[in-house]
Amino acid sequence: MPVHPLADATPDVAGADFSDLVRRYQSMVFSIARHFLADRSAAEELAQDVFLQLHAALPTLQSEQHLRFWLRKVTAHRCIDYQRRRKLPHVSLDEAPEPASPAPSSDPFIAKRIQQFVASLPEKARLIVILRYQEDMLPDDIATVLGMPVATVKSHLQRSLALLRDKVTRTIGEVTI
Amino acid sequence: MTETNKDPNLLEDALRDALHRKDAPEGFTASVLARIAQQYSTTREVKRTSWLSIVSAPLVRWAAFATVSICLVIGGVHYRNVQREREGEAAKQQLMLALRIAGNKLQLAKEKVNEINTSRPERHPQKRSPRSRS
Repeated sequence: MPVHPLADATPDVAGADFSDLVRRYQSMVFSIARHFLADRSAAEELAQDVFLQLHAALPTLQSEQHLRFWLRKVTAHRCIDYQRRRKLPHVSLDEAPEPASPAPSSDPFIAKRIQQFVASLPEKARLIVILRYQEDMLPDDIATVLGMPVATVKSHLQRSLALLRDKVTRTIGEVTI
Repeated sequence: MTETNKDPNLLEDALRDALHRKDAPEGFTASVLARIAQQYSTTREVKRTSWLSIVSAPLVRWAAFATVSICLVIGGVHYRNVQREREGEAAKQQLMLALRIAGNKLQLAKEKVNEINTSRPERHPQKRSPRSRS
């Protein structure tokens, strides 16, 4: 099977073969897709497509940082494309599926409900929230990945947080996080 | 009122907890590698197929047919010319042979005539007598 090491890459990436790269980043790519699509099998298929695309684009990637940026960008755009192409219905709170594995939260119920709330956000806002809180990315980096102004990213984040806070208050009520 | 509503950091912490990275399904890497291998074999197949499709394209088929036809016509004309040249050469050779034989025959005839002329005794032409005149 042909394996491209990263051409002209930094030493920590240059020695890695493709299967190592997949193992290193599969959790990141799969989780972005999983949280966005709220569909395990669709997320798996999309993540595989991303790595197929990565295999073709590997010689153009210069460093580990570049690789991570590329993966997040391609995954984000594929998530939006996938949802639009399949015309997936906007997931309502009641229809949001159960998470595949429990979150390491102090309260799995709250984690599950929050995942459902995130899944119910509009697509751009959802992606921004996922990149911010799953990948711990700064608004500037999210703006670069999604190709939108930083102010727009911040605005989406503020609105999403307000919406989520409101939903948490209304749905979970007196439960303390 | 929840605690998250009072403290924005708590909500953000709850989001980080809820949106933690999940493990990819078992066998994910193997599936990706298998799909890449399959894609490579498909690409090779497509390349082969694309060559076949070029050859089997109507325009290319007609061009190939026309080229073969033209080559056949040119080849036929050339072959006929070569045949004519060979026939002409053979006819020339036959003519030359015939002329040579005829020349030899003439030579023989001439020699015979000469031989006859040399073996006949010398005769003076007879003078006619006056009597015979009368």
